[in-house]
Amino acid sequence: MQADVSGRDPTATFHAALRHVAQRLPNVRPVLAGAGAVLERLPGDPEAPRLIAAEPVEDDGVRPHRVPGTPTTGFSAFLDGTQQSRVLAWIGAAPIVYGCVAAAVRVRAARRLVTWREPIEQRRVYAPLTYTVDAALADAFPRQTLVDTATPDAGGVIPPPHPTLLLERARLAVSRDREEIERRLAERWCRDEQRTLLIDGGIGASEAVAQAPCVVGVVKSHRTLYVDGAALQAVLALSRGERSTVIRIAPRGRSSVLSWYLRLRTHDGHDALWGLVRVEVADTERSVPLPDHARVAGRADTVSRWLLAELEPISLPDPRWDKMVYGVRNVEEYLKARV
Amino acid sequence: MRSPDALLPTPGRHSQLTTHNSHPMPLPLGRVVATERNPNTPHEFHFWTAIESPVGIGTIVRVDGTHAVGGQIPRIYGVVVEGFSYTDLQSPLHDVLGSDGDPGRTALAATERAEVRLYTAAVLRQIPEEPLQPVPMGEVFLADDTDVQMALRMDAYLKPGANTGIPVGLYRAGGMDAPIYLDADFLVGPEAAHLNITGVSGLATKTSAVEWLLASLFTHFPEQKGSIAAVCFNVKGPDLCFLDLPGELDETDVAMYDALGVSAAPFPNVRYYAPLTSDGSSLHTLRSNEALLHNVHPLTWGLGEVLQFAEVLLNRDDVDAKADALIDFLRDRVIGHEFKDPLLSTTHYVRTFADLDAWFRDLLRGMEQRNGGESWRTHHVATIRKVRNRLSNIAVRCAGLVTDDGVPSDLPWGSFEDRAVYVVDVALLEEDAQDLIFARVVSTLREHLERRDLGVKHVVVFVDELNKYAPADGPESYVRKMLLDISERGRYLGLVLFSAQQFRSQVHRRVVGNAGTGLFGRMDADELATPGYSTLTPATRIKLATLSKGQLMVRHPHFTQPIFVTFPRPAALRGRDGAERYPQAEAVPFEVAVLRALRALDPAITLAWVQDQLALHDEQAVQRAVHEVRRTRPADVKSCFAAQLRTLVPSRPAPAAAATPIRSLPPDDPYGA
Repeated sequence: MQADVSGRDPTATFHAALRHVAQRLPNVRPVLAGAGAVLERLPGDPEAPRLIAAEPVEDDGVRPHRVPGTPTTGFSAFLDGTQQSRVLAWIGAAPIVYGCVAAAVRVRAARRLVTWREPIEQRRVYAPLTYTVDAALADAFPRQTLVDTATPDAGGVIPPPHPTLLLERARLAVSRDREEIERRLAERWCRDEQRTLLIDGGIGASEAVAQAPCVVGVVKSHRTLYVDGAALQAVLALSRGERSTVIRIAPRGRSSVLSWYLRLRTHDGHDALWGLVRVEVADTERSVPLPDHARVAGRADTVSRWLLAELEPISLPDPRWDKMVYGVRNVEEYLKARV
Repeated sequence: MRSPDALLPTPGRHSQLTTHNSHPMPLPLGRVVATERNPNTPHEFHFWTAIESPVGIGTIVRVDGTHAVGGQIPRIYGVVVEGFSYTDLQSPLHDVLGSDGDPGRTALAATERAEVRLYTAAVLRQIPEEPLQPVPMGEVFLADDTDVQMALRMDAYLKPGANTGIPVGLYRAGGMDAPIYLDADFLVGPEAAHLNITGVSGLATKTSAVEWLLASLFTHFPEQKGSIAAVCFNVKGPDLCFLDLPGELDETDVAMYDALGVSAAPFPNVRYYAPLTSDGSSLHTLRSNEALLHNVHPLTWGLGEVLQFAEVLLNRDDVDAKADALIDFLRDRVIGHEFKDPLLSTTHYVRTFADLDAWFRDLLRGMEQRNGGESWRTHHVATIRKVRNRLSNIAVRCAGLVTDDGVPSDLPWGSFEDRAVYVVDVALLEEDAQDLIFARVVSTLREHLERRDLGVKHVVVFVDELNKYAPADGPESYVRKMLLDISERGRYLGLVLFSAQQFRSQVHRRVVGNAGTGLFGRMDADELATPGYSTLTPATRIKLATLSKGQLMVRHPHFTQPIFVTFPRPAALRGRDGAERYPQAEAVPFEVAVLRALRALDPAITLAWVQDQLALHDEQAVQRAVHEVRRTRPADVKSCFAAQLRTLVPSRPAPAAAATPIRSLPPDDPYGA
């Protein structure tokens, strides 16, 4: 028996889950009203910044290229996902987290954005099931909605039961779920559409997506910069409307993609990463022994022109407005309204 | 898979879909929303729509609830009273930054910024009416004909067999025209009554609306409620001077007349009344064109008619209780009676102002010749002189209306006809004369309605420029008291006031407050800023300030919120057009004036014949004869005219008696000099 007393889905909303926990699990301590802060807003231990050199595909070395021509519209749709996780209750010191993830594609028609098909939404409960022996918890929620945040690593080591660590792991699990539904949605698009889709983030998580010529990924965060040395200086010195040489990147566990840096906005008076995005497209040169430099450059220029055409409307008041195109902000706002 | 284009709202898509069996299935045009900050209440709710939605201020919508209350899905009707539009921007500066300060660049952006249309609607009706709950979440639909009837509670008085609906105009929204009806029981009585129209001048709203509404009222007034007529005072310009002539209508107007079930034709039965000019030679009206004179009747009153309303013309400041007592004495004992007194040289029979003046002269002479005493029958000589001065002055101030002698010509008291319009043209008269006419006509209407011998059961009195006749402030006047009386008690008698003015705030509160129905045309912004309009939302006030010709906001007891309607242009010739087509007759020599007056009744009369008559008689005698012919409208005009002249005996002035002062006048007597 996993439905709540009214027969509704106990994970439908945070408050439904909270009521359900309070009714069904006498041994847990539900969070007090208003105390369940959103985990994404808590200070965490972010990935350490790093530099990784990547193989240039277009030139011998990384250097700036002025994007030629006038910015023109090329994207037909935008994909983004969102996540939100909050502590629901504690079993002893171990947190039980409620997480909600969603992803959507918004297509552009007559200069307006509308939702493509149905967005994907998923609501789950994240708990260190490895530690908790409370059978009532496993019985309280449907199996597919329960996620263990204390699974052993590849070496079979169980993470220590530090409450903060468990919170971090819950947040990571929610992030993985978000990436997963984003990937599923992107694959659906690649399967059914030929129009160009802009994905907020990298495209290498899925081989099908990474190989699709109709997909462009735009990465706004630069915890990892795929250049070093003189190439790094060249990238950081890019002016508005300039792109870097196309490079090939293939992070561990992800598919190979062609990528380049593009300065969307003048960064005078700002830090060096201001207005800088990294663009990912399918690695069309992967199977050929010698890349066609002109084709690669042409593709990079075309996509860069598309991106420069998306600078208006401006994405304010989002704090990442210098790098975020309005279509992505629109998807975020749409998902925010749904989640 | 639906194409993305199919997901986009397009104009008309929200109106309706057609199902496979061809029955229209309306699509929702919006959805109710409520937040903690802006919750819905039992009297107000909020909803959003697509940008292309045909919703605007004044649009009537229907909300279908989602959860049954007491076994019934709630259905709420509302009228849009406020609208909001905003984007995801937090500051206008963001948009400026985004387009680098170039407004033209925004239009070139690949994507339009997300925008919302949010509306606030005032609840018109909830079904079920109990329990009265806040408006629930639900889909919002454009109201159709049936919805409009339900929303405005018109279903209560549009029942077959008991239909008391009077079309006031068409409600238009989303390509739909729905007739809006007023309830005759609340327009003409007995439940409520009276109608007041406000609007700025020059936009053909007030007079046009009244003309249209009278036509509608005459067409749709329920048979079981009896007969009805209208008395209209034309107080300015030629506004009401051509109600019997066809005006120009376009196809849209004709279609509206058809939709509202009213014949697009001028009033078939109109009678005009106007006083004479001060020299008595012609009718003092803007409808003096020879081609129209056949339907203008003289309005002239004698002493008896005027003295009854003397207080309308007499200044309260100098006509005190003593003067009142003398006037009452005159009214009761002198006028219309044989009057003898030892002081008088002869027996007087006072019927005219001339007779009255002779009576005063005789009395003062007798008092002067008598030794001792300054009073006659308790009336002091100074009071007698003052009253004589004031009453004699009336004939001068209202020359043309008040006949110094002769037979009065009046409205057809006792033989008013059903669905007839009686227009009294006072536009060219002085204010005093206008007040006198207004006071006497309305009072006489009331008297006849009380006695049920007017000829009709209900009378609509139309008065324009109400702020002049019933001002909110200023000294109490007879006319204002009378208007108050009509507005407060007229509905029990069948006496209904249709009034109009430019500034409602300047009219006495009880007069407009008693008007069951209110019509509002385009309003002046200053007027809208007065407290009387504070219950309207800013958006409704803006709409009122920008209404086009032919649009009105309607308040009616059955409507819980004001409703905007469109009405057709009157089918009668507009005053301005009529004045151009039938220009006012120019001042002409006396003989030509006489010829015109007689020709209106007998086209065969020639100038030579008139000149022959004038050669034998003086002007005064001819004027009396013309007046009598106009009044009686004989079949044989020539004979009647000639007979009048023959019977008249020239008056001979009495020899002036030598005045013998009885004593010196008081030094402060302003009338003795």
